[in-house]
Amino acid sequence: MSVHEMPSPVRTRFFSTGTKILFAIMAVGLLTYVYRLIVGLGAVTNLDDQYPWGIWIAIDVATGVALAAGGFTTAALADIFHRDKYHAIVRPALLTALLGYTFVVIGLLADLGRYYNVWHPVLPSMWQGNSVLFEVGLCVMVYLTVLYIEFLPIVVERFKGRVAFPGMLSVLNKIIESFLIIADRTLRRVTSLFIIAGVVLSCLHQSSLGTLMVIAPTKMHPLWYSPISPLMFLLSAVAVGFPMVIFESILSSRSFKLKPETRLLSSIARYTPVLLGVYLFIKLGDLTLRDAWPYLTEFSFQSIMFMIEIGVGVIVPMIMLAGSKYRKSVGGLFTAASMVIFGVLLNRINVFLVAYQPLYSEKTYFPSVYEILLTAGLIAALILVYRAMVIVFPVISMPVEKPEVDNGEPQLKVNYQE
Amino acid sequence: MGIKRRDFLKLAGVASTSLLPDLAAAEACAPDFDHSFGVLVDTTVCIGCRKCEWACDQQNNLSELKKHDFEDKTILKSHRRPSKDAFTVVNSFTDGAASDKISYMKVQCMHCNDPACVSACIVGALQKCPHGVVTYDAWKCIGCRYCMVACPFQVPAYEYDNALDPQVKKCTFCMERIHDGQPPACVEICPAEALTFGKRRQLIDLAHHKIKKNPERYYDHVYGEYEVGGTSWMYLASTEFVNTELPQLPADSMPDNTEKIQHGIFKSFIPPLALYGLLGLIMHSLRNDKNQQESE
Amino acid sequence: MRCRLLQSTTVAGILFLISILLYGFAVAFNPGDTDLNCAECHSCETPTAQDRCLKSCPSFSMTHVTADHNLSEAPGTIFLDYIADEYQAVRFDHKIHADMAEMGLKCATCHHYSPPGRIPACRECHGGEANPNSLRQPALKGAYHRQCISCHREWSHDTKCVICHLPANGSLSTDSYDSTDILGISHPIITEPVKKVYHISCDEGNVVTFYHKQHVELYGLKCANCHQDENCSYCHDLAKSSPEGSPSVIAKSPEEIHATCNNCHDNDNCDKCHDSRERPPFSHSMTGWELNQFHENLDCRACHPTGKKISRLDNSCSSCHAGWDQSNFEHSVTGLRLDEIHIEADCIDCHMELHYEKTPTCDNCHDDDINHKETPPGTFLMKAKSH
Repeated sequence: MSVHEMPSPVRTRFFSTGTKILFAIMAVGLLTYVYRLIVGLGAVTNLDDQYPWGIWIAIDVATGVALAAGGFTTAALADIFHRDKYHAIVRPALLTALLGYTFVVIGLLADLGRYYNVWHPVLPSMWQGNSVLFEVGLCVMVYLTVLYIEFLPIVVERFKGRVAFPGMLSVLNKIIESFLIIADRTLRRVTSLFIIAGVVLSCLHQSSLGTLMVIAPTKMHPLWYSPISPLMFLLSAVAVGFPMVIFESILSSRSFKLKPETRLLSSIARYTPVLLGVYLFIKLGDLTLRDAWPYLTEFSFQSIMFMIEIGVGVIVPMIMLAGSKYRKSVGGLFTAASMVIFGVLLNRINVFLVAYQPLYSEKTYFPSVYEILLTAGLIAALILVYRAMVIVFPVISMPVEKPEVDNGEPQLKVNYQE
Repeated sequence: MGIKRRDFLKLAGVASTSLLPDLAAAEACAPDFDHSFGVLVDTTVCIGCRKCEWACDQQNNLSELKKHDFEDKTILKSHRRPSKDAFTVVNSFTDGAASDKISYMKVQCMHCNDPACVSACIVGALQKCPHGVVTYDAWKCIGCRYCMVACPFQVPAYEYDNALDPQVKKCTFCMERIHDGQPPACVEICPAEALTFGKRRQLIDLAHHKIKKNPERYYDHVYGEYEVGGTSWMYLASTEFVNTELPQLPADSMPDNTEKIQHGIFKSFIPPLALYGLLGLIMHSLRNDKNQQESE
Repeated sequence: MRCRLLQSTTVAGILFLISILLYGFAVAFNPGDTDLNCAECHSCETPTAQDRCLKSCPSFSMTHVTADHNLSEAPGTIFLDYIADEYQAVRFDHKIHADMAEMGLKCATCHHYSPPGRIPACRECHGGEANPNSLRQPALKGAYHRQCISCHREWSHDTKCVICHLPANGSLSTDSYDSTDILGISHPIITEPVKKVYHISCDEGNVVTFYHKQHVELYGLKCANCHQDENCSYCHDLAKSSPEGSPSVIAKSPEEIHATCNNCHDNDNCDKCHDSRERPPFSHSMTGWELNQFHENLDCRACHPTGKKISRLDNSCSSCHAGWDQSNFEHSVTGLRLDEIHIEADCIDCHMELHYEKTPTCDNCHDDDINHKETPPGTFLMKAKSH
């Protein structure tokens, strides 16, 4: 029992060439964010009265939420269906979801004209049960809270027995320590409740994001306008969950120079063709029922986007992952997972931007430089925070050798400097 | 002690009733669209003088434009849309047939009977009032612009250039004036009385009467009588409405589908709770399976 | 006692029967069967000839009540000064407009309610403010503007206020307004052509001769029968004609011309109008029946039934003059005053089988050698036409 897989903080330097580039992107994004707050949306974005929503909604919010689905799908697989071997990827997925949603909210705040009112949906006097957006908003708020609660045990685990404030503050050590022990005990008991809640909440708002555009049937291209759009959003979110986990696992193992968990990842990738197949079946069945096939052969911008979305994003990765050839290789897995992610990203862009055809627009919307910079900045920031988090907290599972310096404690002691 | 306790309960009661959405008030808003206010726009009478635009501008303090700025008639051809600076605009259109007869059409918020914007609004900043007006409360608004996405007439405009206090801008139906028993400013100024203000039912009757009396003058369709579940502003024209700027819309109200889905998912919270229960059951039973397997 | 009861019952019964009958008549001849509703115009239940109790303002639906009015009754210049605080009073030259309207629907061009007698002014029905109880009726502002602008903009394509409203304090510039208004330029009399000769290139015949005056005078056509939808702007459209407002010449397409002619001539062949040379005007002798002195001045419709197309008639006298016999026919109009003996004879005694166009016979009473020329049955007054 000298080698044991368990989550532990990654031992690496935070700064590398990559992080420096990301920092630069983040800094530009941050400046853009501040600029947007000062001058308003008009000067920063290409939005107008015809196109009130741009990439900040389509990518930062809609795609952000979809790609954070790894959190709840992995939790459902490992904790609810008790496929215990997947526990190794629960924590990275959870962290991705946590950060994903956090940045969704940050991105949303940039898009909201009156961001200081973002808390209004919480007030019962402003509840608006007919609004799909209200449901999405409230669900996301609650789910974000649930995610933080789910993450608490990791924080507790990191600091329990190691609270050592220096000097004057040392009087607090005992108090905080006992608080952590109580928290640990309580959380252990209730954690399963929150896991289920997380799954339910995810199902609700992932689907409701698909309901958003159903309110504008006359402005939506028939290839995407569907009354069962919520179901398709949910299915695509479920389908993209594991590919997202695979994608970031391979990326982080490369970045941290760890051995990729190929066996585990290819095992989890088995589910993806099935989930994609169900999604594809529903999507094509919906096209058939609505007699929307003719729109596919009109070879307009919309029909080509639809073909790319389905072809590159669904059919090809589905075939790739169905056979074991690509599934067993890191490169194959990474390519297929990237394609599924690309497919979902493109789907969200298509639904919110490409399919949306305002009645009187004179020009079509294309994001401004600022919009792209801010979105890029948010993504860079997310990656940086993720890197910091896995360095600080025991998130990524890795082979742990018997500690050499420490006195036989099973837990790792990490020197945490600040 | 007892009294205090009772007081507290009373307070709690007051607090909860004041915080919760007033269901009784919502019931009072039950649709009676026959008696809600509306305006009938007779485009065959409209002369395209743009006085309504000027009156709207004055009433709502929209721009720095002077009266004579509205005398420019060349702009009528340019298919303008209502904007943050102009809640209503008049555009010209031809009847599409061989004759090049020019008519004019005033465009503004239609104040739908079942407005998509109201259904979409996340915080209830947009409300449909019993007298027909769709109101906007900037204080509630979070600026998400979902109303603009939802509107089937593409009417709400937004103050994109306002960094701190941007608002959704659209025709207010001159609510204050209606409360004072006056017609909206645009209706009052219209020299040809192409705009008729009144109860919606009366206006529909009037429209059909006009069509019946002058069948060669009007195309037999009252736009807004049935479109998207009916609108407060309705139109008569000499030609099919395809030739005008008004969109072709079904008779179903726009929020029908989303509200059905929404209320289906949240029917007394049963579906989410059922899912919760089901997942809990699976979690529990599979754990027991595993424990048994391990113990065996 | 009992007798009185019986009497009164009988009276009541009879009255009852009468009322039922009257009710029956009332239903049978109910004016309600038509679209007329008494209350539209009458304020009382039972209008009489003495007290018509006519409403001054009939309801909005009651339009196009038109009676002929003489142009001389029309008022002259009217000053409309309801909004004198904003604008100078509008100077409306009613006389000139009435003059122009003579070419159209006369008073009814503007006055959709022009009953016999005095025509009510717009303001008598159209109130200053919109009436929420009667949305069908525009207020005075709408009534005025619709009448004025809808007509004026048809030819001027302009809706500037200053056309009618001069600013009260000069705040509005009138410099830009070049008065091309028809006001003050009384319309010259439109001369009616006697005939028009169209030279066209057509297989059916290159010349069409159209006798305009004859169509009006002989066939009783009104201008509007052929010149449909030809209002002022038809000629005076500023967008089409010169800026001075001189009328533009409207060239009608062959289809339009044929459509107009075909309103009456839809059963006629091409050669009814098309020919290789100019044609003489219509004369009745072309039909093979030249009109005599008694017939030639008659209106066509005196013989050819009204409401129908003019067609060939049976030209025997009795087909029109069926009621004539020796008792009421003044024979002297034929140029022969019958003497005392012959005036007693029946028509058929001389005119065989009542064929008046044939030579009368004396055979029925006299010997064979007598004829009416040599021994006339009276005195010849003058040389009469044969028919």
